[in-house]
Formats: sequence, C-alpha cells, structure tokens
Amino acid sequence: MPSDSDLVTVPARARTSTTTRVAKVLGLLVLAGLVISFPSLAPDSFILSVGVVIASYAVLATSWNFVGGFTGYISLGHAAYSGLGGYGTALLITRADVNPWLAMVAAGVLVAAFAVPVGIASLRVRGASFVIVSIALVLILLLVFQSWGSFTGGSNGIRLPRPFGDDVLRPEQHERFFYLHAALLAVLLLCWWAIDRSRFGMGLKAIREDEDKAQSLGVPTFTYKLVVFVISAFFTALGGGMYALWFGFLDPIFQFSILVGSYMVLMSLLGGIRSLFGPLLGAVIVGYAMEFFKAQYGDTQAHLIAMGALLAIVVLFMPDGIIPALRGLVNRFRPQAASIREVSAAELAEQRRAAEDTGGSERGEKEEVRR
Amino acid sequence: MTGSLLLQSLVLGVLLGGLYALLAAGLTLYFGVMRVVMIAHSAFLILAAYLAWFFTRQTGLDPMLSLLFTVPLFFGIGVLMQRLLISRLRPATLTMMSVLLTFSIALLIEGVLGFAFTGTHRRIRLPYSGAHLEFFGASIAVVKLIAFGLAALSLAGLYILLKRTRFGQALRATMQHREAAQLVGINTDRVAGFGFGLGLATAAIGGTALALDSTIYPSLHWHWIGPLMAIIVVGGLGSVPGAAIAAMALGLGQSLLQIPLGTTWAQTFFYLALFATLMLRPQGFFGGRLAQRF
Amino acid sequence: MTASGLSTTGLTKSFGGVRAVDGATVAFHHGKVNALIGPNGSGKTTFFNCVTGMIKPDAGTASYRGRDITGKAPHRIARAGIGRSFQLCRIFPRLTVLENMLVSVRTSSLLGKLISARQSADVDRARELLARVGIDHLEHAEARDLSYGQQKLLELAGVLMADPETIMLDEPAGGVNPALIDRIGKLVRSLNAEGKTFLIVEHNMDMVMSLSDHVVVFDRGRPIAEGTPAEVQEDPRVLEAYLGV
Repeated sequence: MPSDSDLVTVPARARTSTTTRVAKVLGLLVLAGLVISFPSLAPDSFILSVGVVIASYAVLATSWNFVGGFTGYISLGHAAYSGLGGYGTALLITRADVNPWLAMVAAGVLVAAFAVPVGIASLRVRGASFVIVSIALVLILLLVFQSWGSFTGGSNGIRLPRPFGDDVLRPEQHERFFYLHAALLAVLLLCWWAIDRSRFGMGLKAIREDEDKAQSLGVPTFTYKLVVFVISAFFTALGGGMYALWFGFLDPIFQFSILVGSYMVLMSLLGGIRSLFGPLLGAVIVGYAMEFFKAQYGDTQAHLIAMGALLAIVVLFMPDGIIPALRGLVNRFRPQAASIREVSAAELAEQRRAAEDTGGSERGEKEEVRR
Repeated sequence: MTGSLLLQSLVLGVLLGGLYALLAAGLTLYFGVMRVVMIAHSAFLILAAYLAWFFTRQTGLDPMLSLLFTVPLFFGIGVLMQRLLISRLRPATLTMMSVLLTFSIALLIEGVLGFAFTGTHRRIRLPYSGAHLEFFGASIAVVKLIAFGLAALSLAGLYILLKRTRFGQALRATMQHREAAQLVGINTDRVAGFGFGLGLATAAIGGTALALDSTIYPSLHWHWIGPLMAIIVVGGLGSVPGAAIAAMALGLGQSLLQIPLGTTWAQTFFYLALFATLMLRPQGFFGGRLAQRF
Repeated sequence: MTASGLSTTGLTKSFGGVRAVDGATVAFHHGKVNALIGPNGSGKTTFFNCVTGMIKPDAGTASYRGRDITGKAPHRIARAGIGRSFQLCRIFPRLTVLENMLVSVRTSSLLGKLISARQSADVDRARELLARVGIDHLEHAEARDLSYGQQKLLELAGVLMADPETIMLDEPAGGVNPALIDRIGKLVRSLNAEGKTFLIVEHNMDMVMSLSDHVVVFDRGRPIAEGTPAEVQEDPRVLEAYLGV
C-alpha cells in the first residue's frame, strides 16, 4: 500500500537535484566572471585595493572555516597563524634572502609544524580549553614579537621589499595581488569542497555534531581534529604571507590582534560556517562594511561597537548564518520538504504494519516493487 | 639579587596573587554554573575601574566608596546577562557560542569606554597614593596593600557564602551536577543567574582595587584576560579553591621572574604554565572531573 | 566459550566518594543476547561507559576476545568490534539520515579517507540497513527532523553500519511506544540469529525476559546474580535488590 506522499516525493526530488546542479554551475560561473572582471570594473586604484583587502579576508575566513566549519571548534586566535605566516615570510626574505614566493610557502610549512604541538595541547580536552589557548596564543605572540626587537623589528614593525620589483606601479601591483588572492581562494575552496564530501569530512562533521558519539562509532576524533587544525593553520599562514607581500609592512599590533581573529569568526559565522561559500560571503559583507566605516568615520572606537553588536546579533539570532537561512527560505517554497515529519509519521505507521506482516528482511524488495 | 629585593618581589607576588585569585574565582563561578568561558570578565573589570575613577573625579570622594553602587549594579547586570542572553543559547553549542557572545560584550564595553572617556591613560590621584610601608627593607605601596585587603576580604566572604549558606550549597550543587541539583528541588536557573551575578560582582571589586594603583585605558582588559584564563585552566576549570591556589602560585611566579627577565617577558610565564598544564594534566592541577568533560 | 567474548575483572570507578562501579567481575556469553539489569543507580550505565572507553576505570580490567581493552580510547574499542548506543539516543542532528549512516564507514588507508564518502557500495549498504530498521524513505531528511522513535532506529542502524560483532544497547526500549519496542526486539533477535552478540541494559522487564539468553543483575556497582531469565526471576537476592532497602 504505497502512500501518496511517497509517490510524489521521489520524482520531485530527482527533478530538483538536476535543477539545483544547473543553478550551482551557473552561479559558480557568474562568481568566477565577477572575480575575473573586478579589476577592470574597479573605477580607481583605491577601490581595487579594497578588493584586495576583501579577497585577503575571504582567504583568511575560508582558512579559518576548515577547523570552525567542520569541527565546530571556534578559534578566536587565528590571527596567530596569519601573523606568523606574514612575519615568517618577511623574516625569510629580509634575513635569509629567500625568494618571496618560496618564503611564503616555507613560512606556511613552518607555521603548520608549529601548529602541531599547539593543536595537541588544545584539542585533547573539549571546547573551553581550545578557545582559551587560541586567545592566549595571540597574546603571547604579540608580547614576543613586540619585545624581541633585535629579531622581529619589535614595535617598529618590519618592511618587506616589493615582490614584483619597484618598476611595477601601484595599480598594477594591486591587480596582480587581487588575482593571486583569488587563485589562492579558489584552491582553498576546492580543498574545502573535497574534504566536505570525503569520508574524512564526514568524520569531522560528526565530531561537530556529537564528538562522543562519533568516537563511539570508530572515528579517531583527536587525530581528525588535529589534522584539520594543522591544514587550517597552514592555509591561514599562506593568507597572512600573501597579505604581507602585498602590503609590504607588518606591525605586531595589527598582525597579532584578537580583532583580526574575530573578524574571521564573524565573517564565517555571518555567511554560514557549514557552507562552502559562507566565509566568502561574510568576508564580502563585513569587509566592505569595515572599509566603508573607516572611510566615513576614520579609525575610532565606533568600529569596535559595530563589530561587537554585529557579532552578538549573529550569535543570538542567526548562529547558522545567511546561507542556511536563505536555503531554508527557498526550501519553504518546495512542496516536499515542508512536512518531512508528517510524511514520515504516516510512513512509519504504514511500515510498521508492513514489517509486522512480512518481517524485517523482506522490506527491501517491497520497496523496489513500490517504486 | 639582594634579600630585600627578593622579599619585596615575594610580597608583591602575594599581593598580586590575591587580586588574581578573586578575579579567577569569578571566572570559575561562570564556568561552574553555566559552562561559560566569560571573555568579558576583564572588560567588566576595567569598566569598574573606570567607574571608580569617574566617581572620584566627579565627587572627590574615595574610590572605594564607588563599590556601594558598582557591586549591586554588576550583580544585577550579571543576573540579567545570564537570564536574557546566555540562557538563550542552544545547550549543544553553549560553550563555543557563549565565548563569542561574551567576546562581543567585551568589544562593546571597550568601544563604549573609548567613546565616553577616550583612549587617554587615566590614574586616580589619592592622598595616600605615594605612601609606602617599609617591611624588612622591602618597600610596599599602601595602595597595593589596600587592594589586596579588598580582594582577600571579598574572597573570604565568597568562601563563607559558598560553604556556609543554603544558597552557597545550592550553588555548589548546581556546579557539580545540574540535573541532580534539579532533582533535589533546586531552582538551577535562578541559582545560575545569581552565580553569574556573584562572578560579575568580583569584577566590580577587582576593578576598584585595580583603579587604586594602576593606570587604566580601554584596551587594558586584553592584558588581564590572558593571565586569568591561564589561571583557571591551571587550577582546573570549575574549581574555586584550585583557581585561588593557581592564582597565588602564578602571581608569585610572575613577580619573581620579573627580577631576572623584566616585566614583559615575565608575563609569558602564564602562557607557558597554560601550555604545560594542557600537555601534562589537561584536567588542571587542582580541578575535579568537571574539567575532564570540557 | 565465555573467554572469547566480553569480560571484566574487578572493574571499579568512583565519582567523588561514590563507587558507581565497584569491583565488577562479569563474563558475557559470546554469540548470545545478554541483558544487564538492576535498580536505578546500580552503576549499569557507568559500567557500560567504562567498557566502551568513554570513562577510564580507576581499577580492574576489561577484555574482549582475548584482547585487553581497559582504558583504550573509544574509537579503538569500536574498531575492535564493539558497537554501542546511548541512553538518550544520540544521532548527528544536522546531518542527513544517509550521512549519519556513512559516518560509521571505516578505512585505514589515507586514500580511503580522502575519497568521496558516498561510495556506491557504502550507500547501498546504508540503504539496506535503513530499510531493515524501516526508515529508508527518510534518507534525505536531517536527523533532527525525525521523531524520537525514528531517531532510535537511526542510531541502531548507524551502529550496525560499523558492522560490530558485539552490540551494546543502553535502554533500547526507553521512551518509545510498545509497537516500536516490539520491532526493536524482533531486530535484535534476527541480528542475533545472524551471529551478533548483544549486551542490553534495560528496565523493561518484559523485553528483557522475552529476549535474553543470559541475564546479569547489578546492584551497587557489582553483579549479584546471573543466569537464564527464569533463574534470575527466582533468585531471592534479585528480589531483595529490587524490592528491598
């Protein structure tokens, strides 16, 4: 005895999955087109530089989301890794005369190695100590990089040579770095997507949902968390290094700042940490808003208040972010998704009868016949 | 290193440890009743310090009198914060989301302080600001002694409240096992609210003590939150006595290390202790099984 | 026969001053349906958690198929062939039903971890098991949208997906309606016929008595009696534990 709802549901789902696939590909093409044409659309060099800043934020937020989105562990101190990536790049160039791009990658590898003991210390126990360590790390690095003047340049900061040489003009430099950031972002998104669909990713998402349960099903939770944490630190360091090469100057106050780390959190959370493009969307919104704020009101305490208020609103009222909220809105207009519970309750009753008649093992065949 | 210098560092370490202990006790209360890591604790500390400074500037009275209104005010804010904000969060993600929520409150406080009083460094001038006590060749500022006295008195009061009163009993029961506490008829929501209020009241007292002998500015709270976090982890999250012992030990350590290393590098001691604790004994050195699960 | 299955020797765990599990020495019958019963607070769930590695015991040992599993990490014990459910049904709320199943798929190779989680063999097996517990029509729904009974079935299917030899169920009949209890009972019986060993903590005596081959009775953190359901029902110590005090 097939129930009507089931007969309707299956074809409807098949149809929507093809249309959503087409929509996704189209969306991706539009996004790529927008990114590629942005430098030529930008009216002046300033807007172009804002674009680079936003792309850099998108890289950092997406890197953050490797650990935040998959495992649900919120790190407030990812500025530690972007800062170290930047400083590592700068120091390798200025002190060891390494090629700038090689320096950036080498710094990323060094930071990833550094993240291993940090991860071991902070991921063995759940939740609270992870956050505490993440904050402590930024504070300690700020202290060290400010005080160890002979090596890091101290509070005066450190200057990097321009990687493309001095004959490349500012707008040209901005354009190149915009594309470089976009390329790095594309690599990150590809990696996130690959992990998201992999068995590894399934284990990570299970950790986010219920860590004990995941472990009881055989997921090696600690190893998984540590691996994804190190991946996240590596990419964050690359992002920090690339930013350093573009900006050409590092100041510990801005590199090892809790605020920078919390921007990554706010951006990811606002866009949606469980979505591939969530952090990117968040970075565009928050990054644009911040630049707007700075241009309008200068560097006052106002941005702290705005940032605090926005974060509180997101945490309290939309902890899942914009993308899931939009998706929910779209789903509301689809007939079959609206009432899973009712359908399932009816189905369950029907199946219980069926199961009682025939016993469990024949149910598979029965299903085949129905469809 | 001379004996009197060592003695002076020891005494200063104990005095500093007292203040740390009071503030860490507050942080432990929040964590105990709600499993909340309250990042805004030190921001409230600085807020209380500003209120004490502002009170003295406006009235010319002693900053300690500001406690008469800051303590009840902070207690009320704490209760409201728990009831209106923290309790809204989903239990499954409470630890992480409460960190973000209290972090955003810290930013708001810092921003508002910067707005209201600008970023200028402030200091209270008192008739006894410059007074010192000689103590076997060690010279100890009177204001530091007063600050320690305030902290010690409040900590003793908190201890009596927790150990000797019915409310304290309910609070400890809620911290140890929330469901069991509910089963024996404790209104754990109300207790959690009061626990939050008490925690914030320690920030009010600590802030006033801080204002007596320190220069304050809006972003100062970042210098406090790191050491305090280290203390509660070393002490074992959720253990009030553990936090107090760890606070004393780390305060002393910091003060002694200042002699060979200088103030800046001495601060790294907290972070080293934090990492060492998590590597060797993740449940903290004095904590119970509470920490193990978090 | 018992040595080849799950057994504990002197297992002890205290919380504060209370000994939740107090020197429990038990051997469960491999290949059979074992039940663990006892009054509330007799330490059954703590015992469960000690055996599955969720809690580290203070003293004593647990072994499975001749291997020492005392204090091993939960995922290692799971990989040794012991699956478990939780007292208040635990599933992954924001993953779909199918994804919930796929979490249980295990691979040891690095490449195996990086390939797509939706391998058709795994998906087919997941669907088969979902069909077996009767919720295969819900595979695209998020687990949090399921009813409590459906979530319990999903949890059971998820445990089965990991293909454990021994399955520990913590109150499978708790909070579900009689029809569903019946269905879970039938599932247990048919799985046992296929060779799965069961260890069930349960308060529903009808279910325990009708389902189990071997019953162990816990009181104050240790076993006080064991035997067939009929033997245990007659045992005066059991009656005292339940009715006395």
